[in-house]
Amino acid sequence: MIGQDILMVLTILMFLSATGYFVYRMLPIFRVMQKARSTNRLDNWPRRLSFMLGQVFGHKRLLRLRLSGILHFFIFSGFVVLMIDVITAIVQVFDPHITLDAPLAFVVDLWAVLVLIGILLAVYQRAVIKPERYHGSDERDGYIILAMIATIMIGIFLHESFYPFAAPYLFHVHPSLNPWGFVGYLLGHLWLSTHLASNPVVAESGYILGYLLDIGMVFAFLAYLPTSKHLHIFLAVPSIFLHKTRPHGELVPPLPEDEGMAIRTFTDVNWKDVLDLFTCTECGRCQAVCPAYAAGQPLSPKMVILELRDALRKELNGEDSVPLAGGVVKAEELWACTTCGACQEACPVFIEHVPKIAGLRAALLEDGEVDKNSQKVLVGWDRQGNSFGQPPRKRPAWTKALEAPIKDARKEAVDWLWFVGDFASYDPRLQELSRLVAQILQQAGIDFGILYEGEANAGNEALRLGEFGLFETLAQKNLKWLESAQYNQIFTTDPHSFNALRNEYRKFGFEKPVKHYTQAFLDLIEQGRLSPAPLRIRVTYHDPCYLGRWNRVLDAPRQLLERMGVELIEMPRHGANSFCCGAGGGRIWMEEVGIKERPADNRIREALSLNDVNYFVVACPKDMSMFSAAVQSTGSENRIKVVDVAELLAQAVGLSVPQSAVAIK
Amino acid sequence: MHIAVLMKSVPDLVEDIALDEHEGQILFDEMSYVPSEWDDQALEEALVIKEESGAEVTAVSIETQDSDNLLFTALAKGSDNAVKLVGDFDLSLTNRQRAQIFADYLHKQPFDLILSGVQAIDDVDGQIPGLVAGIMGWPHASVVTEVRVKDQGIILRQEYAGGLVAEIESSTPVVVGIQAARKPPRYASIAKVRQVAKSRQIEEVEVPLSNVPALTVRRFYKPVASAHAEMVDGDVEDVAARIAEILQERNLLRR
Amino acid sequence: MGPILIVMENGASGFVDSSKELITKGREIAKNLEISSIAVGFGQDAESQLKNLPVDRVIAITNPELSQYHPLAYEKTLSEIVKKEEPYLTLVANTTMGMDLGAGVASSVSLPLIAYCNQVAIAGQEVVATSSVFAGKLMAEIVVPKSGAVLTVMPGAWSATEDSGSPQVDVLSVDIPPSMRILRTIEPEKSDVDITKADILISVGRGIEGPENLTLAEELAEAIGGVVSCSRPVVDAGWLPKSRQVGKSGQTVKPKLYMAFGISGAPEHQQGMKDADLIIAVNTDENASIMDIAHFGTTVDMLELMPALTERLRGE
Repeated sequence: MIGQDILMVLTILMFLSATGYFVYRMLPIFRVMQKARSTNRLDNWPRRLSFMLGQVFGHKRLLRLRLSGILHFFIFSGFVVLMIDVITAIVQVFDPHITLDAPLAFVVDLWAVLVLIGILLAVYQRAVIKPERYHGSDERDGYIILAMIATIMIGIFLHESFYPFAAPYLFHVHPSLNPWGFVGYLLGHLWLSTHLASNPVVAESGYILGYLLDIGMVFAFLAYLPTSKHLHIFLAVPSIFLHKTRPHGELVPPLPEDEGMAIRTFTDVNWKDVLDLFTCTECGRCQAVCPAYAAGQPLSPKMVILELRDALRKELNGEDSVPLAGGVVKAEELWACTTCGACQEACPVFIEHVPKIAGLRAALLEDGEVDKNSQKVLVGWDRQGNSFGQPPRKRPAWTKALEAPIKDARKEAVDWLWFVGDFASYDPRLQELSRLVAQILQQAGIDFGILYEGEANAGNEALRLGEFGLFETLAQKNLKWLESAQYNQIFTTDPHSFNALRNEYRKFGFEKPVKHYTQAFLDLIEQGRLSPAPLRIRVTYHDPCYLGRWNRVLDAPRQLLERMGVELIEMPRHGANSFCCGAGGGRIWMEEVGIKERPADNRIREALSLNDVNYFVVACPKDMSMFSAAVQSTGSENRIKVVDVAELLAQAVGLSVPQSAVAIK
Repeated sequence: MHIAVLMKSVPDLVEDIALDEHEGQILFDEMSYVPSEWDDQALEEALVIKEESGAEVTAVSIETQDSDNLLFTALAKGSDNAVKLVGDFDLSLTNRQRAQIFADYLHKQPFDLILSGVQAIDDVDGQIPGLVAGIMGWPHASVVTEVRVKDQGIILRQEYAGGLVAEIESSTPVVVGIQAARKPPRYASIAKVRQVAKSRQIEEVEVPLSNVPALTVRRFYKPVASAHAEMVDGDVEDVAARIAEILQERNLLRR
Repeated sequence: MGPILIVMENGASGFVDSSKELITKGREIAKNLEISSIAVGFGQDAESQLKNLPVDRVIAITNPELSQYHPLAYEKTLSEIVKKEEPYLTLVANTTMGMDLGAGVASSVSLPLIAYCNQVAIAGQEVVATSSVFAGKLMAEIVVPKSGAVLTVMPGAWSATEDSGSPQVDVLSVDIPPSMRILRTIEPEKSDVDITKADILISVGRGIEGPENLTLAEELAEAIGGVVSCSRPVVDAGWLPKSRQVGKSGQTVKPKLYMAFGISGAPEHQQGMKDADLIIAVNTDENASIMDIAHFGTTVDMLELMPALTERLRGE
């Protein structure tokens, strides 16, 4: 009995010390979460649960990258399945009569093999393929973890195969080799044929070694986790359950009176933000899709998370804290972000990078540090309500050249209220486009109006630059009219305004329906108020970040194109995985320093790789501006034209599109 | 080192200047105001000095409609104190009057260094720093792009035509007109300004309005440009073509 | 009525142009008002430089140290002279020195000051000065009070003639106050190019947005055979060296062609380039003051126009 007693005591000691150490390392993190801000992540739990199950057991996001997804599925499912083995192995020590019956033994062995294959694939990926997304991740940690898991698998086979030979001495039972546990069975026969099995010392040592490699390593693993990226084994599932369910495009939730959006310390983030830091698996999928990273800018969303996590760890170790904004995460990293959200879209554990970046920007801004061009724009919004440094009274100047005047929605009731936005109002090149949109609405017989000089910038970018106060000021300016004017729905050509009106103005209680022009035009066609003639051209379509990814308006523009008889050839990156033009988050105004390839140029090259596509269709004024420049800078004027979807529609419904319209040159 | 920064707001030139063209007088109450950009430079230089060698910075402005916002912004940027000079004032104060009001306040204060914008867009009767210095009888230099503290005095850099610069040592007190700070003025976020407006106080000091040499502006008028540029219209290509043509006509193209 | 007092500023060789302009105009006003004219000069060579000026009297302050401008000594000396001579008009050019002396002297002797003057007219017994204020958007017409005034005059407001005369010469030397000391002068760093010698300048202002767009200007300059210059904000942002700056605190240029891209044309800038033979201005604001002195203007996007023009000129 002595052998069993030792094993029992050892198991209990290992269990206590490992879980004790685990709890000891985890408690400080939970204390930080307790001190962090609140956020409601327990509402609507059935929906959260089903979402979580799809992501966890369906590997929905993980499988977007084929090899990684599959090998992860092997290893992940191994962890689930092999819990059976872990429990049995431990219970066996306490009650040797319990063994795994036929199918389960087979399942365990099969999955142990799958896990080993998964590990081989993972090593192959890390050592041979070396994906760029791992750049900056802790590779050593990755290999340590893989080695630990491989060790556990080896331990399983060892103790399984020696069990029948060691059990008579250790536990005084006489089990036989179970053919269902096929690896153990084969190994057992190997021990028999080599006479290892018949030597009690070898058999006992083999079993105990296997047991320690398996169960001992499981406990060692547990103790190792809190300082490893593999903490996601515990945190990923709850993190996915606790994912953000408020409107996707809402950057900042309603803030209590005494809270700003600036992140200076870990008490300025919410507890889920803290959880995010330790859930990060360092997989780098965010980095791989980041337009700033691709452009050679000093930003990687992964590194932002890791820098914050490491800073928090250091703080917990009692080291002096460094300012988070500008210190832990460098100012150049923060200002490089276009807030396109591709990182969040790619993250398999649903980390929210953008709100953290915006919050850190807000802290820089409060200290007066901001790119000087953006500063000019911020001052312009504050003083004149637009980014062009133009007087508010010039906002409706573009309407003057229209034959039929546009109603002033501040003075009379209208059906549609058109929120025009800065670019479409002030940019001389885009004004022509605004007039086309007006003509389309007039042809469809829509009763619409604008707010004239009563409109101000919607504040979407001010907020994303970290200027919550300015966003609030701008929102109040607009809400003064948005709330008093009489209309049934808002119509806008600008995805950025669309996002602000739809998602960010809710915190002020504003809930009128808002439609993007692609949606509204589609409605008009479906209602028979517009009848486009087929254009018979081949185009590709660029999903604006604030329309597609943040607001999931993906079908309307595509259906609209179809209704106009346009053949759509998709770029490899499309829909929610669209690639940002580089203008968002205030980037359009900032100095371009150290850019290797502008995101817009990168995107135009992507479009050029398609066969016979001569039109690059956009649905956002900023895109028109960015991509027209990109076509020039890539010297592809003769190969592709940037056109706005409204220009196509105007042509399709027989309006004369002026030569000076942006793309028709 | 105790630094005073004299600040004022000026009409926002993004909008047209409100002018009663018949009377030839400016309608001061009908315009929106923004901080004078050179005063922003002066404040920035003061804050740079403070960060570099330690100093107490006091922003001083005369009460007009925008002065609270101006002063709270200065506090938000890092100014230690804010002083508002109150009295029977309105927006039509001349610079000479402003200078006298500032001087009346400064007389009773232990400031070592007075900074202000080298000029402002509305300086018809002179620039604040020079006028204040003259009234106080203190040394003064304008068009300055750098001020550093050295021992009991300061070293400043004054700029002349052609980019020539003189490095001048001066004892204090001294008045300096700042052309540009060593770095661009920092941003004051609206949240910060609001927070400062809640938590900090602007000190109010009553100052009488004394008689000063006055100018009578007979009329203000919009300049009738002797010639306005001949505008070239059309899209970018049209304009480029026309400009090339103009250059060709004048033999300005290389062959 | 007191005399007219003209303050002369020393340049690299002799008096600067803006001072000579004041002499010509000052003498004309003096003649019309039948008052005498006095010129004041400083430094070692003051006497020899002043003695042939076409005025009634000159005052030479001959301290050698004052050959170089000294804010405090100049101001103290001039204030004393103004107190003693009680001039009706004191004229000083609106340079750095003029900005110091104008406001400083006027307030220390309790005279009104008329700044940014670019016209002085005599209408009957009245002298009317006109100043350009609000960044050139308004003109102010001011009657000079009978008790006199100090005027700071925009350089280039008048043209100078090379007349000479034989004035009465007063020579004196003054105490230099110790509270201000000139430590050294720093020449602007010599650059690769001398924009004052270029026939064609492609000049960029705030509208260039960022240093990354400078290549557009450089390419255009290369295509047209010119040199890139700029306005003050571009230098302040550190995008181009000081030696490329056109304007009051930069260089004064007179090229055959001056193309102003994204320059609004503040008076300080115009001061440095308004005499260019041909000025073409590109600015989104049709009413920017640069358009008032430009021969041709356009409001298209400069960042698009520059490459378009470059391409066209290369093709020619």
